[in-house]
Amino acid sequence: MKPRLRLWLGADWFGPLAIILAASIGITIFDPSFLSPFNLQILMLATAVNVVVAMSQMIIIAVGQMNLAIGAIGGLAAISFAGLMQVWSFPPALAAAAALAIGVTAGLLNGALIASTGISAFIITLASLSVFKGADLGITRAQPFYNIPAEVKALGDTTILGPIPWLALPAALVVAGMWRLLNRQKVGRYILAVGGNASAAELSGVSISRTILWAHGISGFLAALAGVMLVARLQLGQPSIGDDWLILSFAAPVIGGAALSGGHVSVFGTLFGVVIVAVITQALVIFRIDPFFVQVVLGLLILAAVGLNRMREVRFAGA
Amino acid sequence: MTLGLPERAGTARPALPRAASWLLTNEFGLLALIVGFGVAFALGTPGFGSPFNLFTLGRVMAIDIMIGFAMMVVIATGGLNLSVGAIGVCSAMTFGCLSERAGLPLAFAIPGALALGGCLGALNGQLIVRSGLHSFIITLATMSVFFGVMVFVTRAEAFRALPAAISAFGKARYFGYVSPLLIVSAGVGLSLAALYRLTPLGREMLAAGASAPAAELSGVRLGRTYVLCHLLSGVLAGIAALMVVARTGAALPSMAGDLGQDWLLPAFLGPVLGGAALAGGRVSVLGAFLGSALVSEITNGLLQFRVGEFWVQTYLGLLLLIAVLLDLGRRKFLASIGSVAR
Amino acid sequence: MLRSLKTINMIAAAALALAASATASQAADATKVALVPGGPHPYFAAWEKAGQDGMKDFKLGAADYRVPQKWELGLQNSLLESLLSQGYNAFLVFPGDPVGSNSTVQELTENGAPVIATAGCLKEPTTALFCFGTDTGNSAYLGTKELIKAMGGKGRIAHFTGFLVDPNTQLRIDAVEKAAKETNGAVTVVQVIADIDAPGPAEEKINAYLAAHAVDVDGLVTTAWVPAVVASNALRKIGDKRIKMVGIDHDEVVLKAIKDGFVNGTMLQNPYGQGYIGSYALDRIRAGCKVKKDAPFKTIALTNRFIDSGTVYADKDAVDNYVGSMQSITKKIFAEFEKTYLTCS
Repeated sequence: MKPRLRLWLGADWFGPLAIILAASIGITIFDPSFLSPFNLQILMLATAVNVVVAMSQMIIIAVGQMNLAIGAIGGLAAISFAGLMQVWSFPPALAAAAALAIGVTAGLLNGALIASTGISAFIITLASLSVFKGADLGITRAQPFYNIPAEVKALGDTTILGPIPWLALPAALVVAGMWRLLNRQKVGRYILAVGGNASAAELSGVSISRTILWAHGISGFLAALAGVMLVARLQLGQPSIGDDWLILSFAAPVIGGAALSGGHVSVFGTLFGVVIVAVITQALVIFRIDPFFVQVVLGLLILAAVGLNRMREVRFAGA
Repeated sequence: MTLGLPERAGTARPALPRAASWLLTNEFGLLALIVGFGVAFALGTPGFGSPFNLFTLGRVMAIDIMIGFAMMVVIATGGLNLSVGAIGVCSAMTFGCLSERAGLPLAFAIPGALALGGCLGALNGQLIVRSGLHSFIITLATMSVFFGVMVFVTRAEAFRALPAAISAFGKARYFGYVSPLLIVSAGVGLSLAALYRLTPLGREMLAAGASAPAAELSGVRLGRTYVLCHLLSGVLAGIAALMVVARTGAALPSMAGDLGQDWLLPAFLGPVLGGAALAGGRVSVLGAFLGSALVSEITNGLLQFRVGEFWVQTYLGLLLLIAVLLDLGRRKFLASIGSVAR
Repeated sequence: MLRSLKTINMIAAAALALAASATASQAADATKVALVPGGPHPYFAAWEKAGQDGMKDFKLGAADYRVPQKWELGLQNSLLESLLSQGYNAFLVFPGDPVGSNSTVQELTENGAPVIATAGCLKEPTTALFCFGTDTGNSAYLGTKELIKAMGGKGRIAHFTGFLVDPNTQLRIDAVEKAAKETNGAVTVVQVIADIDAPGPAEEKINAYLAAHAVDVDGLVTTAWVPAVVASNALRKIGDKRIKMVGIDHDEVVLKAIKDGFVNGTMLQNPYGQGYIGSYALDRIRAGCKVKKDAPFKTIALTNRFIDSGTVYADKDAVDNYVGSMQSITKKIFAEFEKTYLTCS
């Protein structure tokens, strides 16, 4: 096999991309409206927010841990964003900055607890999930903030260059940023090193605590960003934002080839993983297939993806 | 030395007198917290100590304890079972189908439902063993699949015409305070304690959790052990689900939230507070029992204090954090004085 | 060591006994009403004010609006049980499940607290006094007929409705179907999307549906609050006013869309009246009145002890005064309530 081709076939993102192309072609044959501008817009909107969520989890998977609290952090950031604008009349930019700051702080808290106590990330983020979710519900009494300023609503609604929604911009920036981080920046290398083999990394002079703090801080930031984007898209500050992020946040990176033990993730694989989920959800609506099937398909996808990854690990070891 | 079990599981040489070292155990700490909070709530609110409240508290406790047990048996072998809620709902709906649709008597419907729970659990186990993948991702996937199939098969419709006996069981009240559900949980707890203390299978599970390679070298059949522990988890999830059915008198697909997610927090809180190590090899049945009981008690008490219904979760999260930090501190202290941590 | 344990136990037992006796000796004469929905939802916001007004007007001990954290039956049951232990002795409950809530309702009534199923009914047999709410089936039926009128008597309808666990949802689905059938094929219901009474799923599914099938429908009927809001926004975005719509409830978004012509009208419900009159009824029951056995109850699918809290169709002209319309309905029902439904010796 030609070396370049072999490299591509072994790449994490190849499989998911192939699936997307095959599925899109298949669906379009049945229903040409799949490629209509409005439909593409819906797909991109769904993907934009979900890819940020997936990246938030991906960076934690890279460092070899799991973050159960991204949904809660996202929800808290979302209602803070909406609440600051509605109740205290903050201008949107300031409110967004505050919400992102809340996300970073929450992430750093998680990271600090994990790094200093050595207690597993699972437990710490399970506890902080409850704390943040409770705060989210307590502040809002489970009622959404309805008064979102028009500029924010426009951000969630409008498009540029045809069907591309405005929200795709921050998402694209995140994807590019993550790629750069993991492939070009020191911090990214450290994160992957600690995830791959923590003791070896430490022996090479990498500060594990600092790296964990970085990873969780970034994760919190991204979770908060996704929350803010969702407020723009939904056009209200809904406290239940983030409740259904858990499965997707793991599914996309895993479909994209991430190793749960840490040290190996694929940014574009994750992106395509998110797109696959969006395409399948949309397909189910188009074909009027029972929407209950989405759950089953999602679960099967995860199983298939991890199974395939396993096989590829064996087959293309070293590629 | 038994089967590669870590020293800490039983062959301790404490540097402290017996009674004092019991005081430092997790279980005593939990018991003290339960009593302490109980007194505080009873004195602080008019309603906490009423027979009715203690009865309903006991009933909710029983369910949370069972959910905790379902997760505990998997934690013991070093794994996780995120699908406890989904399996529970499937069991409950199977019960509904068998008793309402097929008209089978309880003596068949209940075992049938539990058998389904066991099968789904065993399926998890097989997938984990065959693929060699971590139980987290497998059960994350199966949670979706089980729930999705259940919703599809039942069209998300509930079973509301169940035999009266089951809701009578849920409403029964012994001595004015005790729900039969609590008795069932206690009984299951005793059986699990016996399993881990007295039976080879139980010891094998702990061994597999403590150190899989060492256990394998000692002759433990890892594959069989993992499958059996997930099977057990599925059955326990089924029992918990049937308790919920008894309490509400109907089998509802929404009983454990979307995908069964609502059970995840109580499933972990109990065992973790009770001292189970997530890495496996160490569980305390009594600890899990007391841990779940404490969480239920605090939730009930906070409601009595009119602490906004919405802030309860925050307190529970803080409680979990404090508990793990205290446990960490306790173990560090014990290690520093030369005693062996329990 | 053991001795101090024993002491602790004794103190605990004494404290519990003290607390229990304190509860027993508490004089519980004032009516304390708890208004408990199935979970957080904007529809019930009016209950809070209704309770406060009821407490003032009827001199109640309390009329508190308490909301379960989530739409989960177990949480609502625990909350109800806790409220009973806290001293509430009368309940207005939106059942989290028409059968699943019956167990807990029975426990409440067995402990002497009257219960009225409000805005949603319990399935008979139930120990609740009666069910007081919108005749949701009728409301959906009337709404659909208005939609058919607006559509010119023919076309295809899509129906967006609420939670599957909401006892009203199936009633609404059946009612819309019935209204369509009466046109003898001129109007058909081509799609029903349920379980979307929350912003996330509503956004996702309604937008996805309209993206794919907007050309296949001529009218939308929404029989739940959140889908009504989302659909109004969607039609505003589409902008061509070709698709007709009848919504439900009085969210600002829906009302504005009606004024601007994107939505044809809305079916108003009466949450305020439910809370206000319900509190009054509970107080009278506790004062000794009994429900008349032969009262003119309506019969609906779940129960034959149903009292209609009123519904009205508000179109462009009526939208500005919707509060007034609902208030006059509430006044009317209130004035005749005791006479019609209760016997007070």
